[in-house]
Amino acid sequence: MSRVVTWRVLVAFVALAALPALPGIPTYYLLLAFDALLFGAIAMSLDLLMGYTGLVSFGHAAFYGLGAYATAILLERGVLSLWACLGGALVVVGVYAAIVGYFATARRGIYFALLTLIFAEVVYTFFRYTQTFGGSDGIQGLPDAHLWRGVPIDTPQRKYYLVLVYLAVAYAICRVVVTSHFGRVLVAIRENEDRARFLGYRVQRYKMAACMISALLTGLAGAIYPMRAAFATPDLMLWTESGEFIISVMIGGLGTLVGPILGGAFFTILRDKVSSFVDWYFIVIGVVLVLIVLFMPKGLLGIRRLHGFRQWRQGA
Amino acid sequence: MKRIASAVVLTTVAALAVVAAPAVSQPKVVKIGDLGSKVGVFEGYGKYQTMGIQMAVEELNAKGGVLGHRIEILSEDDETKPAPAVRKAEKLILQDDVKLLVGVVSSGATMAVMDVTKKHKTIHWNSVSCAEFMRTTKFHKYYFSNQPDSRMQANGLAKYIVDKMGKRVYIFYTDYAMGQSDGRQFKTALEKLGGEVVGVAGAPLDTKDFSPWFGAINQAAPEVLFLAFAGTDSLRLMTQLHSFGMTRKYKLAGIDCFLLQQDLPSIAEPMEGFVQLNHFSAYNPDKSMQAFNAKFRKRFGVDANIAAGAYDAVHFWAAAVEKATSFDPDRVAEAHEGMCREETHIGRQCIRKEDHQVVMDMHLYQVKGGKNIPIARIAGTDSIGEPMVGRDPVEGFSWEIKKKN
Repeated sequence: MSRVVTWRVLVAFVALAALPALPGIPTYYLLLAFDALLFGAIAMSLDLLMGYTGLVSFGHAAFYGLGAYATAILLERGVLSLWACLGGALVVVGVYAAIVGYFATARRGIYFALLTLIFAEVVYTFFRYTQTFGGSDGIQGLPDAHLWRGVPIDTPQRKYYLVLVYLAVAYAICRVVVTSHFGRVLVAIRENEDRARFLGYRVQRYKMAACMISALLTGLAGAIYPMRAAFATPDLMLWTESGEFIISVMIGGLGTLVGPILGGAFFTILRDKVSSFVDWYFIVIGVVLVLIVLFMPKGLLGIRRLHGFRQWRQGA
Repeated sequence: MKRIASAVVLTTVAALAVVAAPAVSQPKVVKIGDLGSKVGVFEGYGKYQTMGIQMAVEELNAKGGVLGHRIEILSEDDETKPAPAVRKAEKLILQDDVKLLVGVVSSGATMAVMDVTKKHKTIHWNSVSCAEFMRTTKFHKYYFSNQPDSRMQANGLAKYIVDKMGKRVYIFYTDYAMGQSDGRQFKTALEKLGGEVVGVAGAPLDTKDFSPWFGAINQAAPEVLFLAFAGTDSLRLMTQLHSFGMTRKYKLAGIDCFLLQQDLPSIAEPMEGFVQLNHFSAYNPDKSMQAFNAKFRKRFGVDANIAAGAYDAVHFWAAAVEKATSFDPDRVAEAHEGMCREETHIGRQCIRKEDHQVVMDMHLYQVKGGKNIPIARIAGTDSIGEPMVGRDPVEGFSWEIKKKN
């Protein structure tokens, strides 16, 4: 990354890191910020697949949920190490993603989407029916994870910094991926898969690699979630959750990385606020999505490109 | 990468706007939280819970509120799932500073919310959920319940079923905390009384088609089919059982939240003869119950139902706050213990000190022409059982079917 870019990333990171230091910030908003950043990070991971590779996954909730269950199972059994939880999630999600990726990336378009959805529904159903993992109620009442012995991640501030560090690391990984030669091949596949193959690229391997990176990042986000919520339930793997990830990417802006982070945060805050006033909040979110698709096809990030804004900015 | 700067600005502005918004609060107002299902499989219970709370708050406010504070209700939808329930409980407690949380409906979500109310020391009343863990392993000092839990219901129902309906029983339950708990406790109680469980099966919450389980039920040839379902699950199940001729073939019994009275007229035929335990029916001639129902009907234009519990919960809390002369959760929790309310819809209700379970009478009802008609009264002291705080209610239990010769 260039110096300018590094500087901007640092500014962004410092600004977000300063959030808990704002005078009088209520604890609830730190938890909301946790959810917003986590959702944003997942949307960004999905963007790697949707925005850069042109593959729409309807099964990302399974990666998320499996990561959450990996942590929940370890915490429930007294393994409190954050690193063990993250490692466990990487292994579980990695194995599952390799299987899903192997079959799904062999197909294109709607078939890829359907295969990811079907695999995810199988995993959801398995956890919903399996009483060893708590069935429909999942695993609840989990203790706090520890950064290392004697340092529990027990306060909203610590939990917030955990997700912030994860977001920064995930962003760095995604940025490196999309700016590398590998990332440019992914874009080539998105634009014209046949031509990429004709040029000699082993398309399925590239798609598989993108799928794995995206799944592992989502799985890590899932592994962090029970450290804040103290539970993991099958609902985390439901297809509606995958739908919310896709909506977040669309709201933020496809193929931008930062856009989906914004989209995820926007979606989380919008859902939290609107659902306190109306029971049918998804209608409001649906209307917002329709408006964004119609008038801001590049998502929230495209807002700067709305008529006149750029000229105004240049004039200033 | 210019986008990052924009992202930071947008995020910071959004965060500041969100932080600044709730800064102003009304003087002399105390907030209470109403958390329940407003949509989905348990929608009806959540809506009536809100009505019960509303009626109690209106009465209290008309008398000057509590400790001179006007009570304000904040209602949130838990979507019948643990994740939104926890999120909303945190919002109500940490952002809105509610001093009482009433809810939620689904036992699975209630247990998740109990972790939140324990952590943030908030008085938590449950008036609908009935899983046995809530007054055993999940119990905490700020939690109270006036919903008869699975053990109370099983103790009340099993004897009647063995004596009057038949000894060979098939247990069919909704496969999550509530249904499993009801099934377990009922099996335990039934076997203690000499009944025989001829089969058990669980169907997931929100199952659309129950017919795959009907073959096993018919094969077991029970005399009684015990059903531990609730909400729209019960509606679908009864419709399907009826269409398969099984409502006429077996005697049917179920838990107290199986269906709300309001649902019965539309499903009167399949439900005819159904026996269930309940602590409220608009068709109970009991004077206290009729008085409560008249009050409820006058306020909302509809009959009351088991959500009457939410009404009592708010009154219990208000009385405890007055007794403690403080909103401090520790003092209010202590003030609750041993407290009794006279002349409620079910007569006297007392909070047992050890597990904060309200000791209250219940009735056995039988559905006739779409109405819950009382057939027996069960004393709360007979059904509540010993306190089991901290003890695993599942320990030693087995779903294994014990065959009788």
